[in-house]
Amino acid sequence: MSLLTIALPTGRTAKQAASVLEKAGIRFPDYHSKTRKLVMLDETKTIQLILVKTADLPTYVEKGAADIGMIGKDVILENQPDVYELADLHIGKCKVAVAGFPNQSLKVDGPLTIATKYPVITESYFEEKGISIETIKLNGSIELAPLIGLSDVIVDIVETGTTLKENGLIVLAEMMDVSTRLIVNKARFSTKTEQIESMIEKRKKALE
Amino acid sequence: MYTTTSNDKKIKDYQKYERMIKTIHKRFKTYGYERVKTSTFEQYDLYTEVKSAINRKEMVKTIDENGEVLVLRPDVTIPITKQLSELYAELPHELRYYYVQDVFRQSDEKDEEVESTQAGVEYYCESSPEKDAEVIALACHTLKDLGFQNIKIEMGHAGFFQALIEQINLSDRDLIKLKKYIQSKNIVELEPFLRTLEIDESLVAALTKIPMLYGNPIQVSEKARQITQLQKTDEILAYLLEVYDILKLYGLEQNIVMDLGLINHMGYYSDTIFQGFVEQYGRPVLMGGRYNHLGDEFGAKLPAIGFACTVESLLKATKKNCTAPRVPLDVHLQYDTECLRDAILFANELRERNYTVVTSQQNQRLNDTQPSIYQIQLTNQERNFFYKEKSYNFDSMKELLKLMREIKGGM
Repeated sequence: MSLLTIALPTGRTAKQAASVLEKAGIRFPDYHSKTRKLVMLDETKTIQLILVKTADLPTYVEKGAADIGMIGKDVILENQPDVYELADLHIGKCKVAVAGFPNQSLKVDGPLTIATKYPVITESYFEEKGISIETIKLNGSIELAPLIGLSDVIVDIVETGTTLKENGLIVLAEMMDVSTRLIVNKARFSTKTEQIESMIEKRKKALE
Repeated sequence: MYTTTSNDKKIKDYQKYERMIKTIHKRFKTYGYERVKTSTFEQYDLYTEVKSAINRKEMVKTIDENGEVLVLRPDVTIPITKQLSELYAELPHELRYYYVQDVFRQSDEKDEEVESTQAGVEYYCESSPEKDAEVIALACHTLKDLGFQNIKIEMGHAGFFQALIEQINLSDRDLIKLKKYIQSKNIVELEPFLRTLEIDESLVAALTKIPMLYGNPIQVSEKARQITQLQKTDEILAYLLEVYDILKLYGLEQNIVMDLGLINHMGYYSDTIFQGFVEQYGRPVLMGGRYNHLGDEFGAKLPAIGFACTVESLLKATKKNCTAPRVPLDVHLQYDTECLRDAILFANELRERNYTVVTSQQNQRLNDTQPSIYQIQLTNQERNFFYKEKSYNFDSMKELLKLMREIKGGM
């Protein structure tokens, strides 16, 4: 039987995702939250874990470098990978929201400028609302943009809102709830059906 | 003299590509298909009129001297069907065509080339499980020839999903969303979405189960019968099971999976649809289906079933598991300057007999390093023939040919 490869994103969801696997009885002896290792095997040596950059994870699964991935809905919506999205893992829960200064209006003269890691999500949301916008793609420290006048508002994920608060920003509109999903490569679903189904089944049982 | 120095990688890749195409040609021919060719330039209008999954943005456009917009052939099925429709208003008899030619699409994805080679078959015939099974078997057979293991063909039916949604009125926008959820087997969001549509509870239940109607055809069709009792879906399931039964006769039981969540991805598919996967490759390597009504678009009744694969994808998929050895030259002939005349004579005689021959002057600065099976050396004093480090002396062409024959016999 060939190895089943699971990709986890480095960063905030990795730990929770790893604990989901552990509850399902899939343990990686080498895994701990501070590990620098990027590839490791589980105890039975049938499942391989790889740690990849969050934004790259959908690509790994879509192209079949990993069979399965655990990744936030925000990243899926932003990348639109051609994969199966088989389950909601109910972890990594947060919101995608528009944030800005208190009492700020989303109606401005001309296009509203928005700094974000999620241009695709942002554009489709505002298009539906009929608000004309201009997005500025940033890769981090999004909160900085309105403070120094780079943008009017930002679109970002909000968990607790602490970072926003510390920078004097508030949520102006909640766009959607997101959580971590289990995605599967379409070809691997056909060639490794049993392995994949049994893994999903184990995880389901662990939740009950 | 026998060297194994690797030549330019590109040439090696191309040789692999050629071998692959040769294998495909051979297999398609054994099922009675004849090769056809279509024009590189097609009318842009042809692709705007016909419902297909080819994105207009992806087509490479050009303008002719009259200002007419043309596209570089983005697909082959549509032009072949159009050509046929100009000859026949109705299918006169069965027709089996195959093609291997380049298609042009500019995709957003950076790693994909604009030009790729498509190999496929189009079998113009009326619907029947035997014929559908034969085409699927050919697809499988071709993949096996190419050395793939663990081949899976997912088989579905465009009419199944259609029959279910025909019962309700859906806006285009909702339909696109619904298809997207089903194609990504996204049950998590599918159910809440269906609830917003105010449709019948039993239909919600049926549509929610579609994505998981996947696996062994017999079990899947049983599950499917539990969620829908429409006459149309019943007929479809019976048809697919018949196709599956025949595929079992082809010995393909292990290779076939039923996936009723596989919905019309090409736009013109009307009945059986299928796609093929191989281990080591993350995307389908082959797609096909029956398109009984594509001819209608051109005013002709031309039911057909076909499939196509992209040779470049197949090459990528083979990269990991097999590297076929390159084919050596037959003869490498080296000669002294004074023997040029003899060298040309011998080389031509051998080539007439279908040997591959490369000649080179002794001591020339750049040598051809392709490996060869036999080597010949011509000097003023003697003529030598080498095979596996042994040398044999010869005088005339006749003697040389005798030597080669004997060696072949002794091998």
